[in-house]
Order: sequence, then structure tokens, then C-alpha cells
Amino acid sequence: MNTHRRAWLGLGVAAVLLSCSGSSLSGQTKPPEYAIKVMPPGGPAPRMPDGHPDLSGHWFPNGAGQGVSGRDGVDPAAARTFDPKVTPEEPPVFQAWAAQKIKAMTPTELELSKSSVNCMPRGVPAIWLQNPYTTLMVHKQGLLVQLYEVLNNWRVIHLDGRPLPRDPEPFFHGNSTAHWEKDTLVVESIGFDDRTYIMPNGWFHSDALRVTERYSRPSMNYLIVEITVDDPKVLVKPWKSAPRRWTLGNGEIYEFYCTNNLELEELQKLRAQELEQQKKK
Amino acid sequence: MKIPGVLGAAAVVCGLSGLPSPASAHHSFAAEWDSNKCRDFTGTLTKIDWQNPHPYFYVDIKDPSGKVESWSFQAYSPVTLRRNGTDRQVFLDNVGKEVWVRGCLAKNGKPNAAAAGTLKFSDGVKRQVGQLQD
Repeated sequence: MNTHRRAWLGLGVAAVLLSCSGSSLSGQTKPPEYAIKVMPPGGPAPRMPDGHPDLSGHWFPNGAGQGVSGRDGVDPAAARTFDPKVTPEEPPVFQAWAAQKIKAMTPTELELSKSSVNCMPRGVPAIWLQNPYTTLMVHKQGLLVQLYEVLNNWRVIHLDGRPLPRDPEPFFHGNSTAHWEKDTLVVESIGFDDRTYIMPNGWFHSDALRVTERYSRPSMNYLIVEITVDDPKVLVKPWKSAPRRWTLGNGEIYEFYCTNNLELEELQKLRAQELEQQKKK
Repeated sequence: MKIPGVLGAAAVVCGLSGLPSPASAHHSFAAEWDSNKCRDFTGTLTKIDWQNPHPYFYVDIKDPSGKVESWSFQAYSPVTLRRNGTDRQVFLDNVGKEVWVRGCLAKNGKPNAAAAGTLKFSDGVKRQVGQLQD
């Protein structure tokens, strides 16, 4: 290859690399163009007759207002519910016994504990923390109905300020009471089924679990959900989530009865193989 | 001179940044599937079992000796597939036609079973249909 051709080759490679890195020859950086972008705020939130924000809508657990899994050209900012660089979320601080219990789980045990694998209801607060599917909310005077796409679960939250039960029956979604703090709906819940996990990392809970959900709708397209987990038997101190942004979408909410869970059977076989190997050791 | 080839390689390198965004990894791929045992499969799509939490599609695949065996491939949930444009009808329209799949074998040694990552029907479009992204 002669010098002239080498020079052209070098220029060609440089041009391709510069164009794909979003830089121009002048040195200015152009942000990449994404097909699926962050939804704009969309104007003021609708209001209920009592003046509070209307939380009704089909909410997607991302910034895009549409499905993002397995799709090309998704802006990373549109794929998530919060940016840990902007609103960092502290990890939970476990009591020593709880940390040991979680650490002792094998990867297969951990997998089997996940509601996405065993088809148990995610429950509260996991439905807001570990759920890639949508939620349709219907807000009526005195009532907030949450229709969770995943596993066709649903929940009714009364907004009449009724007291929490003294000896609550354990429910996957807990027993709730709600009140407004200005434009934020605060939902307090106790009495949870002990088969739910807070996060899909083995974070279990005790019968002392108390969950606070704070819902706000700062604009038409955004729903902000903040969760506080107070569980003094398991945690050293209450854990608070980042404000997670869900966005308004137009598509259908689909049926999702979990009736063909072959994955669970396979993981159970894998767990049986693990236990057999442990016996041999 | 092989300039086009070199330019092509450079374009592929930068094209990697345009891969699909990570799927919502609500459960771990690695717990059930062996990412060290992934391969390409080509065969005839015979059936789609469109159920929750995961659809399975079946492909008749010829082994090197010419023997045809049916393989099952696990995909994303139906909801996720619908939302990324690969709905049940797309599978139905391709039954009896050749497909290409990239998939990984089960860790527990289940025969003729794999988790699908990418899939191409006869239209040649590469579709992300499962968690595997390699």
C-alpha cells in the first residue's frame, strides 16, 4: 500500500469512528440520537374534584412510557426509574443475623425465592421496587385501585383515613391506610404475608414490617413513588428508596396469569442436584 | 487494497453501542442457563406455546449425522415480546419456515432445551426474544 492510499485509509477509519462516537471533526460532541427517549413532563397533572392530583393512568416502570426490554435505541435515561448518580439510594443495613441468613442462600435458592420465578405475588413494596411490568391506576373519590399487570394482581387502597387494624391479617399487599400531605398521597401498611421479599436479592422481612408509600404526580406524564421500609427486626435503620419515576403510557395492560411455570420445575431440579452434591461432600 | 473491510470493522465496533438495552433482569439468566454453552441453531419452526410466564417455541434441528430432533427455546414473557414487536402472530406466521436462534443450554442438563437470546425469521430481521445478550 503506498503512502497516498494509507493516508486515505487512515482518514476513512477516523471518519467512521468519529461519526459513531457522536463527535464531529470540529471536536464538538453531539449527543447520540435514540429512537426511544425520555418522555417530556407533559403539562400539569389532572386534578380530582377535591383538588388533589388524579393518580389515574397506565404507568410504565421506566422513563419512556412504553416497553423498553429487548428494543433497539433506548436512551439509558428512558430505561430506568431513577438515576443513582442524581438520586443515590443507600443500600439497606441488615441486622447481623439477617445478613448471615441472606448470605447463606445458594444462587439457586435465591432464584427460587424470587416472585418472578415462583409466581407468588410480589406484594408491597416489591411491586414498586422489582416489577418490570405496568400498573393501571384508577383513582376515584375515596378510592385508589391499583391493577398490576404482573400475575393479574390488584389492590384497593381506601382514602378515607380508616385506622390500621390492631391484629392485621397477613396479606401480600398488607393492610393499608392513606392520607394526603399536600399533593402527596401517603399510604401506610402493616401486616404482610411472610412469603414476600422486598428485593430479589434475598431481602426478606419480619412480622414487624411497616411500609410507607408516597405517591405524587408532578406533571401529566410522571408518577413518583417513594418507599420507606421500616423493619426493626431485620434492618438496623429504616430504608428509603430513591424517588422512582413511572411514566404514562397508552398501550394495553395485558393478561398475565402465570400458569405454565416450567422454569420453576427446572430450578427445583437444579436445587435437588445441589443438595445431592452437598450430601456427597 | 482492503479499505472497505477495515471501515466495516470500525463501523461494527461503534455499532455495538446501539445494541438493545438490557432486558429488565427480574430474574437471573445465569441461575438456570449456562452462558458458557451458547450456540447458534438453525432449523424449522414447528410450534409456539404462548403462555405465561414464558412462551416456548419449538424448532426441528438436524444434528451432524442428519437426525432431526425437536428443541424447545424459552423466550421473554408474552407481555415483553408484544411490547418489543415480536407477538404471537409473528411466530404463527413463521411456523414451517426456517429460523435462526442464538441460545444457551440448561444448567441441569435438560436435553434439547435452551434459552433463546436473538432470533431471525425468514425476513432476516434480528429480534431480541430473550435475556441472553452476547
